[in-house]
Amino acid sequence: MHGSETQERQCWRCGTGVGAGLVCPHCEAPQPLPPGSDLFAVLGLPRRLVLDGAELERSYHARSRALHPDRHQTAEARARELSERASAMLNRAYRTLRDPVARGRYWLELHGKPLHLDNKEVPAPLAADVFDTQEKLEELRSSPTPELRDEVRQTRDALAARLHALQEDLSSLYAGRNGDGLLGELKRRLSEIAYLQTLLGDIEATLGNQRGAHSRH
Amino acid sequence: MERIVGIDLGTTNSLVAVLEEDGPRVLTEPESGARLLPSAVAFLPGGEVVVGNRARELAPDHPFEAILSVKRFMGVGLEHVSDEDRRRYRFVDGREGAVRFAVAGREVTPPEVSAHILRELKRWAEHALGGPVAKAVITVPAYFNDSQRQATKDAGRLAGLEVLRLVNEPTAAALAYGLDKGEEGTIAVYDLGGGTFDISVLKLRGGIFEVLATNGDTRLGGDDLDARLAEVVLAELPSELAGRPSVRARARAAAERAKQELSAQLRTEVVLDLPEVGRQARAPIGREDFERLVRDIVARTVGPCRSALKDAGGDVREIKEVVAVGGSTRAPLVRRQIEEIFGRPALVDIDPDEVVALGAGIQAGILAGGRRDMLLLDVVPLSLGIETMGGVFTRLIERNTTIPATVKETFTTAVDSQTSVDVHVLQGERELAADNRSLARFKIPIGPMPAGVPRLEVTFLVDANGILSVTASDLRTGLERSVEVKPSYGLTEEEMERMLEESIDHAEDDVRQRQVREARVEADVILAATRQALAAHGPLLVPGEGDAIGAAVAGLETARTGVDYVGIRDAIETLSRTTEPFARRVMDESLREALANRRLEDI
Repeated sequence: MHGSETQERQCWRCGTGVGAGLVCPHCEAPQPLPPGSDLFAVLGLPRRLVLDGAELERSYHARSRALHPDRHQTAEARARELSERASAMLNRAYRTLRDPVARGRYWLELHGKPLHLDNKEVPAPLAADVFDTQEKLEELRSSPTPELRDEVRQTRDALAARLHALQEDLSSLYAGRNGDGLLGELKRRLSEIAYLQTLLGDIEATLGNQRGAHSRH
Repeated sequence: MERIVGIDLGTTNSLVAVLEEDGPRVLTEPESGARLLPSAVAFLPGGEVVVGNRARELAPDHPFEAILSVKRFMGVGLEHVSDEDRRRYRFVDGREGAVRFAVAGREVTPPEVSAHILRELKRWAEHALGGPVAKAVITVPAYFNDSQRQATKDAGRLAGLEVLRLVNEPTAAALAYGLDKGEEGTIAVYDLGGGTFDISVLKLRGGIFEVLATNGDTRLGGDDLDARLAEVVLAELPSELAGRPSVRARARAAAERAKQELSAQLRTEVVLDLPEVGRQARAPIGREDFERLVRDIVARTVGPCRSALKDAGGDVREIKEVVAVGGSTRAPLVRRQIEEIFGRPALVDIDPDEVVALGAGIQAGILAGGRRDMLLLDVVPLSLGIETMGGVFTRLIERNTTIPATVKETFTTAVDSQTSVDVHVLQGERELAADNRSLARFKIPIGPMPAGVPRLEVTFLVDANGILSVTASDLRTGLERSVEVKPSYGLTEEEMERMLEESIDHAEDDVRQRQVREARVEADVILAATRQALAAHGPLLVPGEGDAIGAAVAGLETARTGVDYVGIRDAIETLSRTTEPFARRVMDESLREALANRRLEDI
């Protein structure tokens, strides 16, 4: 059923059947993306959370070779326009899927459970640390001392290590689990990661400001 | 194959190159055989314009009329021009938007000045190649923002060149090296030019050049070293004399000479001859003195290198090679700085003055279809976004995103009966909109409705040149919406049209306009017929034919937008020649079908 649908796609330039392809096999004209294509389809990959990095890059490079505007520069306006649009989608697909965090977020979106980053609720496992860190930052802003700076730096390194571990854990989550429990678990972990990233950003900003203020003296 | 040239439009010098069978080649000036065209343009009283060496020689006596580094002013407003530059040139005051030079009783914009340089290079290329040249690839600093890129593209158009692609200078250099050495792995390109600094980190693999990150400073270059050294000799003069624009121009030229000498020898003298006041100033200087003098300027390249390495997500130890580009990398101090940052000496196999032009020539060849094995995947250097509530900068496309890149945003109205949605687009890395560079304001009209009801989907697209375009559609009706663009530091479409018209001789306008109109009508007829035949009889194409016809259609589409009716007629001729075998097959088949039908009737 699905097959007959894609078989009906014909090249806009020469009428050859193009299947689910992004360029015409006959005249190489870029084709409009099939309606409803997700980012996995744009890269010609199965819709799976586990991806092989090398395969992802191979597919991205092969499709870039066929679709990139440089390949269609001397073609007619429609071909140039389609190549630009398709390349832009391809670039977005690669940027999203190669990064496990971005891929996880996209997965949640695909399944109608997007992660809202303005979520003010602190993930439970982080609550104590977040509170502690915010307090230290507040103190550092009002009465900076070298000892306090060192302490904040240590906190930063510990949180960075934790973030790194959480990110590493994602791949085992992707590989090991599937089915109903996955989405909830994924959402919990990704919001922890997002929260840690924001917190680390705050720390860097505060430390940076302090340095700036210091050098002006 | 169509001749597309590659142009390095540099701050100090410009070059033109082309890709040939055995590799890229720099094209020379027909009269002298020179390979470098000084990027200098002088406007003389009476309207004469001179370009290159002669313009450069005029600078000391006509400091305001001879513009020596116009690239510094491309796509910027007067508020971005340094005090030193304000003393150096005369600008038209009180104008918003792009800067304008006041020269010899007229006003010129930076794209117009650059167009003179491009026209001269076009002349060199046409002479060397023995035929007209109408298409080009032009290089720009990787860290150029949207306005600076648009200004470069406008300059090409004013010079009668269709700019097929803007290529980032470090990327072009990498292409030249990649072709030379068949390199694989991660490399860095350190490009310190006359006026700009770029650093790019690229991954080379199987002919694909993927830029991982780029950074830089568009206000840092060899010019700054010259200015610093010039102060040394100016200090020998009474301040009244040292403040004169003509004296300062001479001092900069003398400093540049001395700087170059210090790359090869340990001591020299900055010699400033001032015949009009019967004076000479001399300042002896050693390489070490010079290095102490400019160390802080060269050290400003460190930060961008570290940021680019960080954004590339790799370790400095993963960098297999560092390529040095730009005349300033000849200085031993700069070489040492590169080695200090990357832990290895820079690669300087290809002349640092020519490598960007050679890469531009290669990219021109890629676009013409001559090198299907190589492909460039470049990035947008600075984040792009819009101003949102409270003057906050909301990023839509992050820096170092591979281009083309696209993102969609939905907008609605805040008050009842609002008749348009205004979008302010900016570029930069700061949190507040006001701290970033304004690119343009887009006004999108909508029908009057209660607040919050309209749903406008706005698509931002950064093309392969790193230039942004915006389209909008009404989600409720599905209709496209027009978008009116007001560039912050660029030329509007009307200004461009006027400048283009000014460059045409008005005397023969009437006759020519009629011929152009007629040729366009004929073009439309054949284009429509071709499209119809392709749609109805596509399966009759033989392999490769579709591409050839597509290219001929594109050629005619481009020609018909121009004002050259001979060009339009040529393109019509090319298209009908290309489609002839196909048309014959279509005819044969129709005949066969007609015969088959008759036979059926006969029975």
